[in-house]
Amino acid sequence: MSEEQEGQVPNHQPNQENSQQPQNPQNQQWQQNPQGYQNFNQPNPNNPYPPYGGGFGGMQMALPNATIVLVLGILSIVTCCCFYGLIGLVLGIVALILSRKDKQNYLANMSYYTVSSYKNLNAGRVCAIIGLILSAIALLFCILFAIFFGFSALNDQEALKEILREMQ
Amino acid sequence: MKGIPVVFFLLLIGEGSGVIHWLENHLLSCPFKKLTGIDCPGCGLQRSFVALLKGDVWMSFKFYPATLPILALFIFTILHLKFDFKNGAFLIKLMYIFATAIIVTSYIYKIYHHQLF
Repeated sequence: MSEEQEGQVPNHQPNQENSQQPQNPQNQQWQQNPQGYQNFNQPNPNNPYPPYGGGFGGMQMALPNATIVLVLGILSIVTCCCFYGLIGLVLGIVALILSRKDKQNYLANMSYYTVSSYKNLNAGRVCAIIGLILSAIALLFCILFAIFFGFSALNDQEALKEILREMQ
Repeated sequence: MKGIPVVFFLLLIGEGSGVIHWLENHLLSCPFKKLTGIDCPGCGLQRSFVALLKGDVWMSFKFYPATLPILALFIFTILHLKFDFKNGAFLIKLMYIFATAIIVTSYIYKIYHHQLF
């Protein structure tokens, strides 16, 4: 609570104080909030908006892309080797772009979004980065392979086996 | 949407051998393996999954060691998105890194022991 309110307390009768209380915090809630999002974890009777979803006790939303980023990030490792790593590459890049947008959103106004969805987003980002690196390595490997042995070796099993046999 | 896993489970119980037989004969073939004849880092996942459905965990591990961690990761992710565990995101990260490490290690092991063909 602010200093103004504490200053008002001795001057007024208890009944009047109670009647004034609901009007004050509505504006201060958004302007001065040293604890950030944590303040909203406690149920607030002066909440100007109706509770949203019942998850965190009011008005916080999950980040819109958090779930998608997490799922894409995990799928990027499973598909990292399919089609020369291209699918994993695409999934990883899409996940990173989506997560970047959402991260900016969250940092701009933290109090709108839930912390757990932000954690999900970060986990998805880490997964996407790992998947991206692995599929990039797979793609690089394929390209190097094609350069060294030629596309004919890449398309012909027998020729490739012979090349590898000669190497050993 | 809720019914799909239930139907799959019922099919598996009622006609388990039939489903597994169908899966065994309809495995997707890896394009990389088809072109070059060399195993890719993901080869063996489907055989391993079928072996797991048969209940043979050791065979499943031999085909592809990372199947169980990946399945656990999937199931945990779905549960986490549904119920929102407290340290869920961190655990997902850990399991993901663990699964990745197993995949990379097993592929290096394969290369080292000439089991690629």
